Amino acid sequence: MTDPLIVIGSGASGVHFALAALRKGRRVLMLDVGHTGQDAVRPGDTLNSLKRNLPDPAAYFLGPRYESLVLPGAKGEYYAFPPSKEHVFRRRPEFELRAKGFSPLLSFAAGGLAETWTGGCYPFNESELGAFPLRYAELAPYYAEVAERIGITGAEDDLAAVLPLHGGLIEPLELDEHSAVLLDSYQRRRGRLNENFGCLMGRARVAVLSRALGNREKCGYLGRCLWGCPNGAFYTPSLTLAECRTYPAFQYISGLYVDHFRMDSAGRAHSVVAHSTDGQTHEFPAGALILAAGTLCSARIFLESLYRETGKAPELRGVMDNRQILMPFVNMRMLGRSWNPDTYQYHQVAFAVRQENTGGYIHGLVTTLKTALIHPLVQTLPFDLGTGVSAFRNMHAALGMVNINSPDHRRQENYIALDTSSTPHRLEISYCPESGEPSRLKSTIRTFREILWELGCFAPSRTVHVRPMGASVHYAGTLPMTDKPAPLTCSKHCRSHDVENLYFVDGTAFPDLAAKNLTFTLMANATRVAEEAF
Amino acid sequence: MNTAQLERECRSYARYLIGQDPTPYVIGHYLEFHRQQASRAASDSNAFDDFLTRVSAQRPFFARLADAYASAFRKDSAVRKKLVLTLALLECAPLSFEALDRTDGASPLGAIARLGWGALQYSLALAVSVALFAPVRAVLALSANRRATEPGKP
Repeated sequence: MTDPLIVIGSGASGVHFALAALRKGRRVLMLDVGHTGQDAVRPGDTLNSLKRNLPDPAAYFLGPRYESLVLPGAKGEYYAFPPSKEHVFRRRPEFELRAKGFSPLLSFAAGGLAETWTGGCYPFNESELGAFPLRYAELAPYYAEVAERIGITGAEDDLAAVLPLHGGLIEPLELDEHSAVLLDSYQRRRGRLNENFGCLMGRARVAVLSRALGNREKCGYLGRCLWGCPNGAFYTPSLTLAECRTYPAFQYISGLYVDHFRMDSAGRAHSVVAHSTDGQTHEFPAGALILAAGTLCSARIFLESLYRETGKAPELRGVMDNRQILMPFVNMRMLGRSWNPDTYQYHQVAFAVRQENTGGYIHGLVTTLKTALIHPLVQTLPFDLGTGVSAFRNMHAALGMVNINSPDHRRQENYIALDTSSTPHRLEISYCPESGEPSRLKSTIRTFREILWELGCFAPSRTVHVRPMGASVHYAGTLPMTDKPAPLTCSKHCRSHDVENLYFVDGTAFPDLAAKNLTFTLMANATRVAEEAF
Repeated sequence: MNTAQLERECRSYARYLIGQDPTPYVIGHYLEFHRQQASRAASDSNAFDDFLTRVSAQRPFFARLADAYASAFRKDSAVRKKLVLTLALLECAPLSFEALDRTDGASPLGAIARLGWGALQYSLALAVSVALFAPVRAVLALSANRRATEPGKP
């Protein structure tokens, strides 16, 4: 029997590669740290029912050590990750990291970082694939295949002009009232918004079920999205991992931290070396090695392996991430209204706004979060808390947040390296934004505020939050795919040009980063590689 | 950690924020949080913050004044943190979360009027709180400076 394909990591890329390979009859061994959380509690309860029925709701919502409590003086975001997702960001002590100009997030969870995603599934269009050695038509069948696997809601609307319609889309969920009001406002001012701002608006494309799929139920509108969908209606990669595990040819070993791979004299990866939590070292022979540990972890494994073979670890140039802007707003038409917590909580509406200088589109996703905890927001209002609570009652139904993604491109000054002078070796990331970024961000913020104003919404400038680079967790670009073989790149099928049987199926291989969530493209590309290269 | 004082704080804050007494469940978590954070709270202690906390625990009216002052001049103070903790516990707990979620059911114009009225009340509370607390803060700061400069005292 030949050695199996070894896949490192169980995130969005790894599981979709694995499933496609299994369906082709290949043997797959997946090695993973694989932290897991707790099973969903009281799956039939709505969020408010949980507050009534759980014996200790504060422990569920704030955490047993109050780790999701956001006190004044805490830096950063408008909400904390819920305790139920704590396992997603639990670190491994062996993984040391130093970053400059970058705030990286890593995951060693089963399912990876996308266990906490918000489900946005936006295909890259022809223009956004311009730097890739493949055309949209080559990727389209895999977008459709992934859409059929995971269930993606969407509609044929104005956004289709920049978000290609692919197979496998299912009908959208019921709109919450606020999202419906926003879309209604857009329809009334559509011509003006299109003409003045190049602004298109429509239904978000989201990995959530509006009808049952396999053993997954359709969305029950329980309002629990932030805390973890209890019935599998909202897609996360751990669902595909579970599907992979039904195949006899699939072996999943968790609790393993992959350190490096060894190469034979022909320069092929012949085995993978991993450490278990008890300190034991394990070695697995590999037919082919598929790095799907996420751009940062894959870079570390690759650099560590090269260093062990050659005594040198090069710098991987061109690391990218989407700069994100969070823009809270108040919809004046919704002021004072009551609101329904039993709704889908993530994006229901999306924007695409043309950039004047490039002609490309920036994407904004609108969340009308109703069931997020309010204490992180109320304390940011310019009042005392009592007035803030009262104001919030009048504004709750009217609140929304636009999450704006900016594109990024590979630039030589941004790199990942391995510091071999420390023990264990430490990954170093250095990122410097483009010189014109501040003025571009300013212009983007101004445009989105004006668009929101046209829609009857007010976005206070002091609440706009430009997230630190690294916060969007859309890392990519360190060993890009290219038509021209060169060191530290990979082929169109993501095969390394340095190590013959090594493949990068995560963001590592992306030569460019569109202004949108890359996860759907990661899944489609990983499926493509499994289908076409194996 | 003085349990009676902490309970008094929690009651005063809950009445101030939602007009209701906290349930024993909320008080239990309020005490538990302080037990877990005891060492950090001690190291963060500051005479004026302690004063604001003691005053705010007396009754909801003083909680409001202390909060109004802290919202403008001491955003990261202990009293503000305790109030946010109370709010977080109230929004997770049965009964009190419904009080927080309840909307006034106003029209957009009515809602704007209410917001304006709230802002006016806040301005008044802030003015009163400055008149009351700014002199206390100045006196406490002066006495702290004097102690620090006295020979033989750290």
